[in-house]
Amino acid sequence: MESALSSATWFWLIAPMTAVVILSLITFFTERR
Amino acid sequence: MTMSTPTLITFIVYLVALLAIGLFFYRRTNNLSDYVLGGRRLGGGTAALSAGASDMSGWLLLGLPGAMYASGMNQVWIAVGLSIGAYLNWQFVAKRLRVYTEVAQDSITVPDYLENRFHDHSKLLRVVSALVILLFFAFYTSSGMVAGATLFQKSFGLEYNTALWIGAAVIVSYTFLGGFLAVSWTDFFQGILMFLALVVVPVVVVTTQGGWSETVAKVADVDPARLDIFHEMTLFGIISLMAWGLGYFGQPHIVVRFMAVRSSREIPKARLVGMTWMVLSLYGAIFTGFAGIAYFSDQPLENSETVFISLSQVLFNPWVAGILLAAILSAIMSTIDSQLLVSSSALTEDFYKAILRPGASQTELVWVGRFTVAAIALIAILLAFDPDSTVLGLVAYAWGGFGAAFGPVIILSLFWKRMTRNGALAGMILGAITVIVWKQMSGGIFDMYEILPGFILCTLGIIVVSRMDRKPSAEIEGEFAEMENGVR
Repeated sequence: MESALSSATWFWLIAPMTAVVILSLITFFTERR
Repeated sequence: MTMSTPTLITFIVYLVALLAIGLFFYRRTNNLSDYVLGGRRLGGGTAALSAGASDMSGWLLLGLPGAMYASGMNQVWIAVGLSIGAYLNWQFVAKRLRVYTEVAQDSITVPDYLENRFHDHSKLLRVVSALVILLFFAFYTSSGMVAGATLFQKSFGLEYNTALWIGAAVIVSYTFLGGFLAVSWTDFFQGILMFLALVVVPVVVVTTQGGWSETVAKVADVDPARLDIFHEMTLFGIISLMAWGLGYFGQPHIVVRFMAVRSSREIPKARLVGMTWMVLSLYGAIFTGFAGIAYFSDQPLENSETVFISLSQVLFNPWVAGILLAAILSAIMSTIDSQLLVSSSALTEDFYKAILRPGASQTELVWVGRFTVAAIALIAILLAFDPDSTVLGLVAYAWGGFGAAFGPVIILSLFWKRMTRNGALAGMILGAITVIVWKQMSGGIFDMYEILPGFILCTLGIIVVSRMDRKPSAEIEGEFAEMENGVR
């Protein structure tokens, strides 16, 4: 059987940590004066 | 394992460079604000990497890869919690704290800020917060000394006691000389070094395994459960691990970096640099440990926390291994030096200047600061001589203590105008005591990480006591409004 990480594992591994970087990028532009 | 000549040379060059930085900034440190806070001259990028490097101790290069190696993907939750906590800290605390510490009579330490924020003339708030700092940092610093000594011992075949003294001598000498500017600049370089090491090592390991799919297949051969992020995890367990993120709001050695940024306008840039650094470094640590399972599948490591060291030694030539080793020491040292500095400022500003000698000159204060660094380091070294000292247990304890005692106090002081001095005092004491008592208990709910109940009780303490207390004076409310205007 081919082994792989489950979708749920991928999701929690990638989504929250990437989200905080994206949020930082967005606020970098929105908070610039 | 004994040291090879190229590894030793690389390593010594690195240590000499650190001392040179200390000496350079020794000449540029003229008063206590320079020594403790660098005279608020840090650019956004330096502040960000410096906050990151002070935050991520040996845990990033030894602890997290070790946990991943030993248990697999279910250890990712702590990294998720930490990233969210760090982001919220940058987003909601950094700018307000930077502005408020300037409005509140140019405060340069956390106790200083709390006293000035609440116009506390009794010195009670300052002394209690300085005591909390000294108590929890003694353990924190000591755990770093143990980690450093163990690393020297394992990599260079030195005796534990010798390793402890050598590591401590280097750290103390440049913190002693250069103060905050030296620490922030070395943190900056150490942050870059840690980052490069964490990017290079996992990529090389996965490549030697023949690619990502092959790495995953080999891990599955060892134990398929290590691919599952929910393996043996309950909701309770996940919440407990993610609660580490709450610790950020109260770490004096991290939030002091917010106060030192050149201008509050640098914060968005600092946040972006800091979060990118942190998340990529965490991924590096996660994948180093994970790929290590595949690499060492035939011959498992005795001590899982040596996975990063072992991979550096087997995969790279001795010159590069020397640099990678320096990166590990960077991680440990960049945390200890910042903690020494904050403890020193607690003693100098909050006891010596505030109570013993209010009229002390700047030169005198800088020298008192320097000697307290040496004295506190000595206490940490003495604690580290105890062979039963464990690194991770102590780190978790100190992290929890600060998070629970200071976290809600700092957050509410920045967002709630109605908060009073007595509320802050009650919350701080309640948070610290909860952590100390909770740690002594075990079983059922007491297996939860102590930061969570401590944080909640501290928050409740602040709200209930402040509500019962008299309303803050018009002057305090005026400063609060001035801070809010400054943030806009």
